[in-house]
Amino acid sequence: MTDTTQQQLFDIIAKQAKIDVAIIKPESTLKDLGIASLEAIELIFDIEEHFNITFPDQQGANFDSDTAQSLVDAVQKALDEKAAAGEGSK
Amino acid sequence: MPTVSMRRVVITGMGAISPLGVGAEALWQGLREGRSAIGPLRHPDAERLRVKIAAQVPASFDPAANIDERTLPMLDRTSEFALHAAREAITQSGLDFRQDGLGVRTAVVVGTGVGGETTQDEQSKRLYAENSPRAHPLTIVRLMTNASASQISIAWGLRGPTYAVASACASANHAIIQAAQMIRYGMADVAITGGTEACLTYGALRAWEAMRVLADDTCRPFSINRRGLVLGEGAGIFVLESLEHAQARGATILAELAGSGMTADATDIVMPSAEGSSAAMSQALADAGLAPQDVDYINAHGTGTLANDATETKAIRLAFGAHADRLAVSSTKSMHGHALGASGALELVAVVGALRDSVVPPTANLDQVDPACDLDYVPNVAREMPVRAALSNSFAFGGLNAVLALKRAP
Repeated sequence: MTDTTQQQLFDIIAKQAKIDVAIIKPESTLKDLGIASLEAIELIFDIEEHFNITFPDQQGANFDSDTAQSLVDAVQKALDEKAAAGEGSK
Repeated sequence: MPTVSMRRVVITGMGAISPLGVGAEALWQGLREGRSAIGPLRHPDAERLRVKIAAQVPASFDPAANIDERTLPMLDRTSEFALHAAREAITQSGLDFRQDGLGVRTAVVVGTGVGGETTQDEQSKRLYAENSPRAHPLTIVRLMTNASASQISIAWGLRGPTYAVASACASANHAIIQAAQMIRYGMADVAITGGTEACLTYGALRAWEAMRVLADDTCRPFSINRRGLVLGEGAGIFVLESLEHAQARGATILAELAGSGMTADATDIVMPSAEGSSAAMSQALADAGLAPQDVDYINAHGTGTLANDATETKAIRLAFGAHADRLAVSSTKSMHGHALGASGALELVAVVGALRDSVVPPTANLDQVDPACDLDYVPNVAREMPVRAALSNSFAFGGLNAVLALKRAP
């Protein structure tokens, strides 16, 4: 059985932040997890690479207040859009 | 007491290739009219890219004009820009480097963030994408970071200290400061200096996209709805001379480069620090013998990113105290974009224009005040006002700050 999107994502965050994955809660902000701005951009890259998705440009994405759950939601949205686009082209 | 006597340094020529056109005058006229040169990205791969806008040198720019056909194949786009801008500046100065051994007493210092990026990109594509077994034989001479400085030296027979300076977005200002110091301390009587950049390649654009600092609408410095910077390109080149050298030959002096300040934040590789940049401004004031209240205008670094504009505002307040509220501050990047290693040079054209014509160019696209940016940014329309002295700020990734202090021509 494959990990859920949330599990996969939390693993990526834990690796980037060099923290135990158990520390990460859905409501944790990236700031809570000690992820600074440039690391957050690296994290976005890691997530895009892992799920093969592209997040929309979001200059001003607020890494102080964005939570782990909001990232899960964003990934799920991008995956759903990718799936819909894939079906559309069949 | 200083043990070395310092000479005063003046500007006697300027040239530019910019998104607002060919020539320093085209750039200055565009800026004082508040015209933005930001538009849809022109690039063969534009369809594939997420970045959709840029401030590019007009397609009508003809690199071959005034450059001989044996030199042309040696040139990356950065050197094309630099040679054209140098020709304009040198012509305006009226200097003849063949006379009286002047070429030996002339330095060339040109700033560039990355150098021959177009060449690098083209040759990488050839090797990795097209599986070509060989690179073009002029690849190295085109892409080396010092190519622009060397080409200027060769074109005019300039035999003094010649090299490139690289400090990302502060490259031009650092180069200009180096050149001015050489004149101050007698290592050269004349210097050709400024910055050049042309790095809107597929690879570089992808790298900028990944940093997520690019605006998708336009460049809105100091506005609360700002969404990042807009990449630009171009070159600005200046002729600096010692005051005595310029006066002895009856040259027209455009402005005095009265002082400079350079610091490093030593904090973060990308996040700016108000302490570092304000220290550079304070140094520039002291070096130029200016009190805060002597300054009327600051050409801000003003990239339009969330972090820069609020931090720069704080830095100006730290350096200027109560006088900050009496300053006109504008970001001309709102019109010519962020030309990275050339930006300080394009902005020096704006500062010289302001000192000479008593007109402060505006900050375009400033339509919603950001409470964190609470200075007078000359929104959208140029302002006629006397400008006695001005600062020009450049702050770079890497935490590097370089500030020029200018006065009206003596």
